[in-house]
Amino acid sequence: MNQSRLGIALATLVVVGFQLAVFTQWRVAGVVVMLVWLWPVAVGLTGITSLAVMTGFVTGLLFDAQCATPFGLNALVGALLGYVVARLGKEGVGDLDAAALWVTPAIAAVAGAAAPVLFVGAGVVALNFSLWRGGLVNSMLVNAVAFFVLARPLARLAGRLAAPALRGRR
Amino acid sequence: MASDRSRRRLVVSGVLGTLIIVTVYVAGGVVAGVKSAARAVVFPFAWTIDAVTRPIGHMVAGMVDYADLAKQNQQLREELGRATLRADENAAAAAQLRLLSHALHIPWAASLNTLVAQVTTNSPTNFSATVTIDKGKDEGVMDGMPVIADGGLVGRVVAVSWNTSTVRLLNDTGSVVEATFGNGQNAVLVSGEGLNNPLSVSGIPITAPLSVGSLLSTNGLQGGLFPPGLPIGRVTKLLVGPGASTYAISLKPTANLNSLSYVDVVLWEPST
Repeated sequence: MNQSRLGIALATLVVVGFQLAVFTQWRVAGVVVMLVWLWPVAVGLTGITSLAVMTGFVTGLLFDAQCATPFGLNALVGALLGYVVARLGKEGVGDLDAAALWVTPAIAAVAGAAAPVLFVGAGVVALNFSLWRGGLVNSMLVNAVAFFVLARPLARLAGRLAAPALRGRR
Repeated sequence: MASDRSRRRLVVSGVLGTLIIVTVYVAGGVVAGVKSAARAVVFPFAWTIDAVTRPIGHMVAGMVDYADLAKQNQQLREELGRATLRADENAAAAAQLRLLSHALHIPWAASLNTLVAQVTTNSPTNFSATVTIDKGKDEGVMDGMPVIADGGLVGRVVAVSWNTSTVRLLNDTGSVVEATFGNGQNAVLVSGEGLNNPLSVSGIPITAPLSVGSLLSTNGLQGGLFPPGLPIGRVTKLLVGPGASTYAISLKPTANLNSLSYVDVVLWEPST
């Protein structure tokens, strides 16, 4: 488990680095693809709930530190995505080797469409009622498509990093 | 069963923890230290990835957009020539305005010191319009200072570290600037409507002397948040609903907020 945690922690830092250095600069239709939301989804597909929730929380928190939006919102979205997808992953849904080819991308696409809504909803908790004006629909569409495309490679990486923990469980 | 309980406990504590962080943030921004630490952790990774990917991005962009770049370069040369001519013509008028402003004790934007800064990061998310610049406390940048570029207001500094600052742009949904137009007797509020959207203006009666193309600039009131006379934007749409007594106005920012490379921080403290 410790080996997995270390690997996921390092990968998390690289993911946040990629988000800031690459995905923030290369916008798709003016929208930033949120790799930091996809990463907990990918980890969640391994079915290890605690690892997915922690990954979502830490990834979001590290990214929150770079943003002017209320601190903690991305952490909340990441943790929730990690939890929900890990529940599915635990049932074997999205297993890259066993499930149909489209299942993992489809789960990720739904997560990509839901994440901006969760973010705006969480913004209400922080008394910020204007986040929905930041192109919510565009953000949902672009993230859904981008998550669909990127889901399998990222899930494969998360699966490899989480393999020691999964072996320990069996 | 026990595992289910502990999982639920983990999620509940995670959500509660986040809510506490958000509440603390809203209450007074005590999390500044945590943010600085998180930035310090992420910085080496982001810097390394940027150093590796940027040249590749430039190479690809150079190959794909070469014809556009050459055309753009030609256009910029022509614009530079025209701007130089206009600058010469305006020099005399500017000197006169400076003298008048001084006589009336009005802080005039062009008479204030500025600091050139490079934009290092564009808004990292879709839900805020901000940029990060490479100047911070070390160079005298302070919270609240106005930032200008392309001859117009860009936004204001909202967070400062030793070597970088975050600038909230005019089109951020949290941005509100008090402005004026025409003879300067009308005070209106200009609000941001999010990335890629025009600014909106409220509170202008339909009797006001305003038309498409009118320029709005800061009025220097609003508790002194901005010095007067900084151009904000030009009216692009002027709508009057049936029975309405005020205009619904769209405003195009004077500065191009989507492609900022260098900006000027106006070294002017809001409270002065």
